[in-house]
This record gives sequence, structure tokens and C-alpha cells, in this order.
Amino acid sequence: MPDKKALRIALVGRPNTGKSSLFNRLTGLNQKVGNYPGVTMERTTGLAKWAPGVLAEVIDLPGVYSLHASSTDEEVVMDALLQEAPEERIDRVIGLADGTNLKTCLFVFSQVLDLGIPAVLAVTMRDEMERRGMELKTEELSETLGCAVILVNTRTGDGLDALREAVLRAEPSPKLPFFQPGGLHLRWLAQVQEDQSMAMPYRAWLWGLKESQKPHSTTLQQPPQRARTDEAIQRYRQVNQWLRDFFEADPVKDRRWTARLDRVVVHPVWGSFILFGLLFLLFQGLFYGSEAPMNFIDDQLAALSTWLTSVGPPGFLMHLVSKGVLPGIAGVLMFIPQIALLFGFISLLEESGYMARVVFIMDRFMRPFGLSGKSVVPMVSGTACAIPAIMSTRNMENSRERFLAIAVTPLITCSARLPVYALLIGLVIPNSSFLGMNFRGVVLLALYALGFVAALAGSAILNRWMPAKKTPAFLLEMPPYRWPQGRNVITSVWNRTKSFVTEAGKIILAISILLWFLASFGPNKAPDFTQERAPLAIEESYIGHAGKAIEPIMAPLGFDWKVSVAVVSSFVAREVFVGTMATLYSVDDEDNATIRAQMAREVDPRTGQPYFTLAVGVSILLFYAFAMQCMSTFAVVARETQSYRFAIIQFLVLGLLAYGVAWVAYALLS
Amino acid sequence: MFLSDLPFGHTAIVLQTPDSLPVKLFEMGCMPGEEIELAFYAPFQDPMCFKVQGTLISMRRDLAQIIPITEPDAR
Repeated sequence: MPDKKALRIALVGRPNTGKSSLFNRLTGLNQKVGNYPGVTMERTTGLAKWAPGVLAEVIDLPGVYSLHASSTDEEVVMDALLQEAPEERIDRVIGLADGTNLKTCLFVFSQVLDLGIPAVLAVTMRDEMERRGMELKTEELSETLGCAVILVNTRTGDGLDALREAVLRAEPSPKLPFFQPGGLHLRWLAQVQEDQSMAMPYRAWLWGLKESQKPHSTTLQQPPQRARTDEAIQRYRQVNQWLRDFFEADPVKDRRWTARLDRVVVHPVWGSFILFGLLFLLFQGLFYGSEAPMNFIDDQLAALSTWLTSVGPPGFLMHLVSKGVLPGIAGVLMFIPQIALLFGFISLLEESGYMARVVFIMDRFMRPFGLSGKSVVPMVSGTACAIPAIMSTRNMENSRERFLAIAVTPLITCSARLPVYALLIGLVIPNSSFLGMNFRGVVLLALYALGFVAALAGSAILNRWMPAKKTPAFLLEMPPYRWPQGRNVITSVWNRTKSFVTEAGKIILAISILLWFLASFGPNKAPDFTQERAPLAIEESYIGHAGKAIEPIMAPLGFDWKVSVAVVSSFVAREVFVGTMATLYSVDDEDNATIRAQMAREVDPRTGQPYFTLAVGVSILLFYAFAMQCMSTFAVVARETQSYRFAIIQFLVLGLLAYGVAWVAYALLS
Repeated sequence: MFLSDLPFGHTAIVLQTPDSLPVKLFEMGCMPGEEIELAFYAPFQDPMCFKVQGTLISMRRDLAQIIPITEPDAR
């Protein structure tokens, strides 16, 4: 709970002004990541003690180009700044300005000043300004703005003490207003102020223009045309005057590196090569880079489990811990290496300025599917695992696109499907080749392709079918290239990992214990926990009964009761299919070849032929390609969308889709 | 002449724009009277990125096609 006495300080500025660097500097690792009410957008706050008896709650608002709402970002910022309730009100604003690109930054800051909130302007990129021969007369600018102007360096921490001090001392600017609506606009504004009894003209202006955009706003008179446009023109005129008076730059040294790099990085041909190279690197990194730490975690937990069973006699509690709690913990810890790697990578892309270029290059390709270039990252990381991939959608600003990406990412072939695919392909696809192509390899490749096609097609369909809200125009600034700051990368990785463990982790653990219960207890027989082996034969357990109960439903797909049981228990994670099959066919070791041999011997009682025909195999393969059988994905979706409803609907829709596709395939092949 | 026709190595001035354009464009710094230059474009020349007021702003081609500009000057 935020301390009531804490001074609420908001960071406001354009994107790419070093806002998160300053935020990390001001708060350290004491950050809290949450959501803004009603929108799926991340809200980061941090508490820090700034002076004896002064607690500062710093709020990192999204980067915006203007306080007027063009998208959810601006809406969030405007709502925060317009809050009047004492416990929600913003007490101070730190305005961020990139010293090498002051013009557009001062534009937003002059809007903030007009709200009458005590504010300080922090000018970042001080080192770069010096390198490029830029000079800002801070004292004169401060005099004109009526607020402190502090040069800061987020890399070294220079200027931060002065900034804190200035924030504590800040008062509303006496130089207001910086924008004067004229004629019709003024008359409209006066009306809004009177109707809503708002004393501050610019508050009424912002609020009124926002309300009038709502489709059924009857309480408010429509504002005259070009209100925002006139404001922009007037403000820019003023900002240009300030810059002429107080700013000097050496044009020769300006922006050379970014322009030079961009000649290659966003080149229509080379740019695409570089992008695909990086995405390949990401794929490789997630697949192989996380292997060793994941194996380590797996081994440690297995050792812990063995040690546990050695210290005490088998019993209810022992079984609960070793088969319910520990696998749940494993299910949380196992994802940490991939999540950390992916967010480290994304953070590097964002920090360096390359992410905006990814969006730029991929925009044309992703547009037909309702996605922007940003969704390339979750799509590619989804081939390793849907968990980090779905978490990576947090970096998307557009909530509609984020919704689409979360909805379809589980369709991408993740690494947990591989053991299932390997087992079944080995079972039903002949190991022969045609024109030098091995059938098994072709089928595996086709399944991968199917994952991508299904995800993109699904997104296109959802995009068509979703009620079309006015989508914000695609306008994107390409930030200059910068060296990433290690501090920011580490903070990002830490925050993401922490929120996964503490939030999605809880859900995963709970589901794991529930599934343990369903697998260990049954309706008719009491479980026996005194033995080394499973307390109940799997067919006696609730899961076994559920599998048998749904057998008639699954029959059109060609699934017998054993496959049905394996499908049900696969909700823990898809690869559990292999283990369950091993148990059901009484194979002791989980070696693929042994299970396969045993399964190949299974005879269909109706035909007397082998049960696992091509039709059955393909049917199961397709079912696993589409169904969302993964409790961790379910948990992460629920967490990221802040909605169990979304997760449940997604689970049901993908399940039905899987059922339909498997049915058709089985009917065609048998 | 429209922004989408601006060739590399030339600059032009943004003319009075129709009211239907997103205001965000103005607020980002791309407004009438400002000098504008093509910086680079993505495959298929869409989206395109322009340099205006010291900022690189990228937009889709359909938007650049309705922003009027003066006759380009070679730099």
C-alpha cells in the first residue's frame, strides 16, 4: 500500500528521453510493477527516501508526445495528471527532455506546466550534448518557464541531487499560461469551465477535448474545429522562440552516427537480413542458451525429491510434497532462464533504439494480420516457449494488438510439443524418404509451419471479427542509437522475473497441487500412500475416470481411453503425454523407443489390427498442435490479461479448434 | 506534390494539411511550414521515415500520400 504521506512524483516525457534510466536511478530496485486500472498496460512505481521524513513515490508514466489522447498511453498519462482525489493526486512532475532533441520535448513540458502542477524539467543526455557541441542556457530557460531546469546524466548520476532538491522545492509556475485559446475556442473553454466548475483553464481544455471524443457525449458542447491543431501550432511557435534564445548547436556534429548506421540497419535488403539474423540468434539463444540452466534446475529438484523420499517413510504428506508441490515449483523455476534471457534481449533491443526499427521493417508484413512489427518477438520466442513469449507482449503499446498476440501465441509450436511429436511421428510415420526428403522430417517441419500459419490466420480472423475501435495512426519515432545501459537491462530482467514468480507462479503451483490430487485420489478406491509406487493405479484416479468418461466424446477423433487419459493429464504440460503413456503401457523407463515399441504392439479390439494407425497418429498430432494444454500458459495469460475469463475462453476455443481439426483429419484418413 | 513523392536527397516544406490528418502528427513535430526530408523506407517503400524538426518520424505510405508539400529542392 502506498504511504499516505508519500510525495507522489510522476515522470512525464516523450519516449526515448531516458525516462526509465532516470526512474531506475531515482528508485533503485525497490520497484513495483502493476497495471493501470482498466487497461492492460504496465504501471511501474518505486518508493525512495529523499530526505529525512520525506518519502517519494515515483511513478513512471508511459512516454507520450502530447497530453492529448491519441492512444491508451496518452489516456493513462492524462488520467493520472487530471486526478483530483487527495490520495491519487500527483504532487510533483519531473518533465523529461532529451537535451539533443529539445524541441518536441519542450512541447509536452509546456502542456504539463499549464496544468499548474509543481514541475521541474530534467534535461538528459548531457554527455551527448557536450560531445555534439550543444549548449543550453538553463538559467535563462528556467527564468522563462518559471520552474527549475536541471541537467542530469543518468549514466554517472550527475545532477540527481540537484534534481531531488528542486523537486522538493517546486511550486506551480508563475509564468502560466503558455497557451491561449482564441476566439471560438476560448468561448467553448469558458463554457466547459463553467459547467464543470474547473478553475484551471488548461485542465478544462484537456478534459473537455477528451470527453468530446467519446461517441455519445451529450453533456458537452462539441468543441470548434482544429482545437488541438491550433494548440500545437501555438506551442511550437513558442518553443522555437525559446530555442532561438537559449540553445546553441553545432550542426556539423549532429546525429551523424544514427544516420550512418541507419544506412545499413534499415536498408530495404540488408536491413531484413540483419533482422532475420537477430531473430535467429534469439531463437538459438532461447533454445540452447537456456538448456544448461534448465537442466541444472531440473537436476537439483530431482535430487531434492530423491533426498526427501530417503529421509522419511512414504506417506500422504511425502507424496504431496514430492509429486504435487515440487513439480509445481519446478514448473515455475524452469521458465526463469528463458524469461530472463528473452527480457535481457528485448531490453537490449529497446535500449539501443533497434526495436523501433524492427517495427518499421516488419510493419508491412504483419499489417494484414492486425499485428505490428513488434509481434515478431513473441512469435519467434513462442517457438521456444509460450510463457516468456506471452510475457514479452508487455512491450506492446497498442492493447488491441497485444490482445491478438496473446490470443494466438499458444498456437506456435513450442519446445514442449517436441517430445510428443517425436513419439508419435516415430510411431506412425514410416522412416523412408522420397526425393531425398525424409518423411518424418517433412512431417515435423509441416507441424512447425502449421503453428505459424494457424497463429497468423487466427490473428487475421480475430482482427476482422473484433469490434473495430478507432485504431491510432501508425506514427513512430525512430530514436537515435544509444549504448544500452546495463542498469536498465538488469532492472527489466529482475522486474519481469519477479512478477512471473510471484504472480503466475502462485497459479501454477495451485494448479499443480490440484492435478496431483486428481491423479492420486479416485472416486471408488482409497489411495495407498505407504508404497513406493503410485498411490492409485492411474485408471482408478479421478483423471483416469475423467479420461474414460470423455472416451465417447473423443471416439470420433480415434482416441481410446488411454489416449484420452493422457490428453487430460497433459494439461500440466504437453510433454506429460509421454510419461502418462509410459505409465499406462507399464513401461518403466521413459525412453522414447521403449514406449514406442510397446505402443506399436497395441491392438485395436474392433479390427484386430495395430491401434496406432496413421489416422490415429495424425489426429493426436493435430490435437496437440492446436490445443492449449499447458497450465503455465493458462496462468500467464490470466496474469497478463488480468482476466481469468480471457484465459478460460482461450482454452475452450483452442480446445474446440483442436477437436475439430483432429476429427476432420481422422475422418479423412481412416 | 505529396510527401510520398519526395525523392532521396531533396527537401520540401510541409503545406497546410487537411483537417482529417491525425493531430499526433503535428504534435510530433511534422507540421505546416517545416522542412522535411526522406530518411529511409522499409521494403516495398512502406512505411517511410522522414526527418523533420530534428526527429525521425515514420508513417505508413497511405498517410504520406495525403500530406501536401512544396516542390522538392535538391540539397
